[in-house]
Amino acid sequence: MSSPSSSPSALRTFAANLIGAPRRILQSAFRTGVPRTDRTRSTFVFSNVFLHLHPVRTHRWSLRWTATMGLGIAATAAFLVTLVTGVLLMCYYKPYPDVAYNSIKDIHFVVPTGRFIRNIHRWAANVMVVTVLLHMARVFFTGAYRKPREFNWLIGLALLAVTLGLSFTGYLLPWDQLAYWAITIGANIAQSPREVTDALGMTASFDPGGLQRQLLLGSDVVGAEALIRFYVLHVMALPLLLVLLLAVHFWRIRKDGGLTRPADADERLGPPPPDTYPVFTEAPTRTYHLAAIVRGRTEAVGRGPENTVPSMPHLFYAELGILMVTILVCLALAVVSDAPLKELADPSVPENPAKAPWYFLGLQELVSFSAFMGGIGIPAIVLAGLGLIPFLDREESGTGLWFGGPGGRSLVFKAMLVGLGAAIGIEVIVIRYGWLREWFPKIPQLAITFCNSGTILATAYGLFSIWLVRRHRSTRAGAVGLFTCFLCGFVVLTIIGTYFRGPNWVFYWSPNDWPKH
Amino acid sequence: MSSGPAPGASRLDPEPMARRDFLGLASIWAAIAALVFATVGMIRLPKAAVLSSPSKKFRVNLPDSLAPGQAYVPPGRSVAVFRDAAGVYAISLVCTHLGCIVKSQAEGFECPCHGSRFKPDGEVAKGPAPKPLPWRKVAVAAGGFIVDEDVTVPPGTKVKA
Amino acid sequence: MNKNKHLLLWSSLGALALLVTASVQENFLKDWRVTQGGVRAEAGPIDVRLRQIIVPGLKATDRCVTCHVGMAPGEQGATGSQVAQAHKPLVHDPADYGCTVCHGGQGLATEKADAHGDVHFWPEPMIPIRFAQAGCGSCHTYAGVPEEKQLSHARNLVERYDCLVCHRVDGRGGTLRPIGTGGMEGPDLSRVGASGWDKNWYDKHLQKTREATDRRWTDSFGPVNKTDLDRINSFLATRVAAPRLVEAASLFHSLGCRGCHKVGGVGGDDGPDLTHEGEKDPGRLDFAHVPGEPTLANWLAQHFRVPAEVVPNSRMPAMGLDENQIELLTLSMLSLRRGDYPGTYWPKDRLRTERLGEREFAVDSATLFGTFCSGCHGLRGEGMRYPGVPPFPAIANPDFLALASDEFIAATIKQGRPGRRMSAWGDPASGLRPAEVPAVVSYLRQMGNTSAPAPDIRPARWAKRDVADGASLFAANCQGCHGDKGQGIEGPALHNKTLLDNATDTYLSETISRGRRGTAMIAFAQPSTVHPALTPAEIESIVSFIRTWERP
Repeated sequence: MSSPSSSPSALRTFAANLIGAPRRILQSAFRTGVPRTDRTRSTFVFSNVFLHLHPVRTHRWSLRWTATMGLGIAATAAFLVTLVTGVLLMCYYKPYPDVAYNSIKDIHFVVPTGRFIRNIHRWAANVMVVTVLLHMARVFFTGAYRKPREFNWLIGLALLAVTLGLSFTGYLLPWDQLAYWAITIGANIAQSPREVTDALGMTASFDPGGLQRQLLLGSDVVGAEALIRFYVLHVMALPLLLVLLLAVHFWRIRKDGGLTRPADADERLGPPPPDTYPVFTEAPTRTYHLAAIVRGRTEAVGRGPENTVPSMPHLFYAELGILMVTILVCLALAVVSDAPLKELADPSVPENPAKAPWYFLGLQELVSFSAFMGGIGIPAIVLAGLGLIPFLDREESGTGLWFGGPGGRSLVFKAMLVGLGAAIGIEVIVIRYGWLREWFPKIPQLAITFCNSGTILATAYGLFSIWLVRRHRSTRAGAVGLFTCFLCGFVVLTIIGTYFRGPNWVFYWSPNDWPKH
Repeated sequence: MSSGPAPGASRLDPEPMARRDFLGLASIWAAIAALVFATVGMIRLPKAAVLSSPSKKFRVNLPDSLAPGQAYVPPGRSVAVFRDAAGVYAISLVCTHLGCIVKSQAEGFECPCHGSRFKPDGEVAKGPAPKPLPWRKVAVAAGGFIVDEDVTVPPGTKVKA
Repeated sequence: MNKNKHLLLWSSLGALALLVTASVQENFLKDWRVTQGGVRAEAGPIDVRLRQIIVPGLKATDRCVTCHVGMAPGEQGATGSQVAQAHKPLVHDPADYGCTVCHGGQGLATEKADAHGDVHFWPEPMIPIRFAQAGCGSCHTYAGVPEEKQLSHARNLVERYDCLVCHRVDGRGGTLRPIGTGGMEGPDLSRVGASGWDKNWYDKHLQKTREATDRRWTDSFGPVNKTDLDRINSFLATRVAAPRLVEAASLFHSLGCRGCHKVGGVGGDDGPDLTHEGEKDPGRLDFAHVPGEPTLANWLAQHFRVPAEVVPNSRMPAMGLDENQIELLTLSMLSLRRGDYPGTYWPKDRLRTERLGEREFAVDSATLFGTFCSGCHGLRGEGMRYPGVPPFPAIANPDFLALASDEFIAATIKQGRPGRRMSAWGDPASGLRPAEVPAVVSYLRQMGNTSAPAPDIRPARWAKRDVADGASLFAANCQGCHGDKGQGIEGPALHNKTLLDNATDTYLSETISRGRRGTAMIAFAQPSTVHPALTPAEIESIVSFIRTWERP
């Protein structure tokens, strides 16, 4: 923009710079150009701090809907929705028992769009828990935890724990009867090691259960201390932890070579569409953003890039699509169903039945048989088992394929039958005939701790799994059997805890049969 | 997806897309529209629709012993109500400088923060205050008066019972 | 990839549609916006926004005025919609107290069903409008309300003496002064019980009658006798701008409810404490046997009709009340609220009753009897018989009163009958105060028209006959009604400490001899169709046998 004369005046230059400033501001931020060519598509991805977590090129197999069902993205999308709506709700929510309930009422009735935002927040939280569990199942059934992805599996388990923690801490915040008593139950479950220390007479000197409960509640009852702790956990500590873990999780996906695919993925995919062409078939003249040259192989070496497509736009359409679907689902649920709010919390009037949040109802069902086993024992076994899976199953067949590995689909089907049958069976026995305490009133508590529906079910699943290992001569088969059984057991127990347990945790076929108070 | 590279061009820099992708563009714009609409909606949330302070319109029952020129400040309010022969009137006690509450004296109003002084009718006598104290609307109601702190009336407006 | 584009497109459009729907609902379709849209003030259309009344001292944030615009402070001129009209003239300005203190409901809400509290999980629904005066009970208690006959008699006196010619009372009566002078002839007396009235009014009225030349005075006022004057004054003391509530309280103090139930710490223990009955959460009540809407008012009304159906294992008998009485009693139950408000909001009557120990009922003998005794012993002391319960004795029975000394009756009232339904009413906190017991005794004598017996010249214990004879005579004649161990079946319990401590042998033997007319206790000294007369010696043996129960 210089003037025709050879040396423009300083003022002219100044004016020209001022006029050109807006355009240059834009250019300084967006330097890569419209992503229409392969080069610009690549730079679009790796020059952007938010997008450079993605690979520049994505394998066609990973983009298949059936590869992942988009569950990981859906879980992240649900988290984003809860994050945004949660920050908005923080403008009005007050975390002290005297005012918390009324602040939620205000959000529902007078805050502009408050009711809608709160509904979205609650539904997105539920969607997040569901997608996280489904994502874990998908990763398991496609064997995507195998080498070199074992650590990412562990990070994923940590993410699961943090997700459940976020949901649980958020549950208390409305300070209504539902919240108060659910958290009372939860805190008492945290205290369940006492069942064992009491039976051994050690509680006076060694009381981990009491300590856990005290740390959780900040007091010996659910009150203002518990509320502020849960609030801080819910809005700051756990989200921060989640984001950190997510960063590690996504980083590991990249470093582990992207999403899992079967060794014969290229054959299964078939020929690429006619308008694709190979990339990097000539010697590169410029190495973009070369970080370092190291010895050894990267995971991506050894396979041609022919079956990859630019992430921009293919991967991003998929991710954006899943984000919008998740948002759509959360919005639809928020429009039709209000977030619950019962009466103000009243410590002198227990809810009967007092139920934990739905994802803990299976645990609560187990706790009704034995506090220790249901609260600590079986969850610890399950978590330990889940954590050990990648280290026990070192096989390689079937990685990247649904129900891959020895046994295949029919194994999963059989395990489902065993899982459902055993869970329903033991529940029928306990509901119809009672258990040890009814048959032998004087029996010591430790006997029940070790022999109750939960332990029997876990043992049954364990034995079935060992039988599978021997029959198929494969740890993977055993793992598949065990995981499927536990999944089915979880579903059965959660359904029973949700729909068929009434006041005093008695079995009722329908809420209409509940006795009137 | 683009077509193959034009002859002579580097394989890294082929022709840009020849065909406009209606479906792609439409879907992107639909997503942007939805997200922008959502953002606009969410931006409305922080502005409260009701304030937690008591209503700005309130009833005042003047004590019978109130002398002309003597201020009656209802408890918890920042407006002074006066009664004289011409009627009842209300003057705001919020200093027009930076919002401190002025004190009503015999000779007018005095602000403790930066020393602004006002005459009994609210006009600025001295001090950094830029504008006179506004007069607030008084209306008659059964058994008393209603003062509306949100409505300003011209100075000198007095209401007879 | 097309699939993904379609996924993105359709889900985005769907999300957009839902957002637009939600936004339209929020900004145009909300009920309160629609309501306010039809409302006009004098100056023009009102500005459409949420409105609320905040009373920090009462912890009230009432958004009722968002729809009921005319009741908001300073907006009384609003017109255009029935919902938005101004409140009826009333004692307490909503701007100072909010709405929910008196009406109940959910003040924080802005939707109709939520605001009226007709939703699950709101424990205090709005009081139905026909019971609106029950809301006074949030802060007020009664003070000195007489029983219903006295109240209605006093009300009739006010009518008969034509007070309503000049004075307005509870919306009736009163005359406008001639044009030009303005105002009413006499002040409105509806609230004088709370605001006070000149106690010398009668003398001043008489003086005016004597001195005035105006025909309004000379023709319309005349002397009133002292008894009627006292009654009129007591009636004025009950005028608190809530006439139906006073009527309901008066009925409560006539039917003997406090005989079984405590209110404000005063009353019996047989039934639950009713002090906060009006605040019960309908969500916790069982409506299996209550027809109609599941509201507290319906539950209370049905409970009055058939208590044992509504509350299983209830000991409350069906009292045989008519529908008008049930309506009034429901109102009085709903008024038992007595919220936990700071002392600065306590009205004088609550301070007087709860802090200074004044009674909620008048302390004349008829009201005392009506408050505590009439539920079990009958409105005229004739005794009551309820199904499944031992009958309650006729305490105004002339034969009983002729033999029972005042001390005996007073001791029975104070100590009760341990182990039976008669409580010890001598505890001044929950029962009768020392000065009130003689009033009840004299009322019994008045009802039975029988004065106290002459003092007994014989000693309290003079029966010395054979106990074994007495036992067999007792078995033959008495145990059918009084039980083989004197525990009481149809007849009162004779094996009872307070009875035996306070009754003289004369009392016992004379009762056996003379019987009690109108009850199952016949005169055993007279022959009957089923047994010969008992001789005085036989009666003395029975008394000796009864006295053996005094020893441990």
